[in-house]
Amino acid sequence: MSPIHDQSYRHYEGERRPLGRAWTVIAATGMRSLLARKWFLAVLLLAWIMFIVRTVHIYVVTMYPTANQMLPIDARMFMQFVEQQSMFVFFVTVFCGAGLIANDRRANALQIYLSKPLLRMEYIGGKLAILVSFLLFVTLVPALLLLMLQVMFAGNLDFIKANLYVIPAIVLACLMRVTVASCAMLALSSLSKSTRYVAILYTGIIFFTEAMFGVLAVVTGSTRVAWVSISANLENITDVLFRQPHRYDAPVTVSILVLLGLLAVSISVLERRVRGVEIVS
Amino acid sequence: MTADHVSKWYGQVIGLNDVTVNVPPGITGLLGPNGAGKSTFMKLITGQLKPSKGTVTVLGEPIWGNPKLFFRIGFCPEQDSFYERMTGMEWVTALVRLNGFSDAEARAAAERALTTVDLMDAAKKRIGAYSKGMRQRVKLAQALVHDPEVLILDEPLTGMDPIGRRKTMRMIRDWAKQGKSILVSSHILHEIELMTTNILLINNGRILAEGNVHQIRDLIDTHPHTVYIRAENPRGLAREFLTRADVISMRFEPGAVVVETGKPDEFYARLTELVAEGSCGSVSEVTSPDDNLQAVFKYLVKS
Repeated sequence: MSPIHDQSYRHYEGERRPLGRAWTVIAATGMRSLLARKWFLAVLLLAWIMFIVRTVHIYVVTMYPTANQMLPIDARMFMQFVEQQSMFVFFVTVFCGAGLIANDRRANALQIYLSKPLLRMEYIGGKLAILVSFLLFVTLVPALLLLMLQVMFAGNLDFIKANLYVIPAIVLACLMRVTVASCAMLALSSLSKSTRYVAILYTGIIFFTEAMFGVLAVVTGSTRVAWVSISANLENITDVLFRQPHRYDAPVTVSILVLLGLLAVSISVLERRVRGVEIVS
Repeated sequence: MTADHVSKWYGQVIGLNDVTVNVPPGITGLLGPNGAGKSTFMKLITGQLKPSKGTVTVLGEPIWGNPKLFFRIGFCPEQDSFYERMTGMEWVTALVRLNGFSDAEARAAAERALTTVDLMDAAKKRIGAYSKGMRQRVKLAQALVHDPEVLILDEPLTGMDPIGRRKTMRMIRDWAKQGKSILVSSHILHEIELMTTNILLINNGRILAEGNVHQIRDLIDTHPHTVYIRAENPRGLAREFLTRADVISMRFEPGAVVVETGKPDEFYARLTELVAEGSCGSVSEVTSPDDNLQAVFKYLVKS
């Protein structure tokens, strides 16, 4: 062997993952980067406080059945839990989602990313996976865990058998919240290079639609206008999923259409904004 | 790399106008002033822009909508495109993972690429603390890291100090020797000449000339050539030049005469004689504004 080492470039001869899996790199890198931030971990942990409270509730009611009259364990309780988690859905969406695309746009990173074997769909999918994973971690995971704890504490499947619809209701209600929040936030994030601006815009949209519904409800004296509020639309559909009395007079089909419209707009914005080269006409 | 009747419009603005060109293997210099369409051409070649008309083919396949070709292409953009809080090593490693490398392989490949661009010493520093030249080199490392067959380098020498430029030019020549095809853009003719004789001249979205730089220069030499002469007695020089048929026009500037000649070689020979004779006093400066690329373009556009 020569004592002088070869300093020239050595060609890579290893295996390469095929095209179509680069989204996992985007997702894993994004998750790692967020989990390295202490404040984000704090938000995630805070989001589980209601789970602990509900666990105690279920335990007490299971151990002392008389408490069931005051704090019943029923579909409504699970619906309330999912809705209480909406607050954390908002915080996680703002903290985690605002910078997902905005930071890449600020750093001009999209140009480099999309010159690699990475489809635009994969890029968006990877970013979506980050937000969806964290949001499911604060909604679907604790809700299903709560259901499992109920079975464990009770030692039987009586509750599940009597309320079988609760499982799909929990899954659908959580997925609906997560999908709407993720797509809307990702679309907003693609519109700006400023994380702060995106966070303010998202907060503004949520609170503005809520306020508008409040004003219109007072003016018209009816809740038929609930469709103008994103939160009210989610609650309207959740009522149906959990077979609960309707809180609003707005038809559920209108709420579904409004949310589908919001998703369509978000996808259209993402399609236009996520490009390697920004074209200014 | 082949462009076949490629045009690109940005709304009402035309970025590239009916370009048909074949970029051969080896190093090709893409030359043009700012706003000529170089970056548009680069973005079309890298598949980041869809041509409004025509097709762009790289390594025998259409590039638009064909991301599997990106495994074989390395692109170094003109703009800075990184997270300044990341280290050079983290950035290059993260990007090569998009090419399907595992974590360990990505790290090894990043080390090799950073060593190649002579940046291994600063690999663990944050990119925010890098000088302009180091930023250019880290961009080159990410373009090279997955061992592509084709390298597309958009103004890679911008902001580098003279030593950095020389090193980078040598590196680019070495990569070409290893069999890579390289398209490198610049608005400085001299830089390109040091790397290759094969050039593409672009202006106003059109290819003005392509091929060997010497052939293009010969072509340019048939056009009027401007010479600026700062002399002790510019009017005396002008009197001498008036008798010559190759002198097309003259004008005076403070302490100097600017001559337009149709035969630059003969003109320079006569000027040397006059200076040697000393009949028109001393000459302190002889420059040709035509030596810059802008003038070359002017000539080609006029033709």
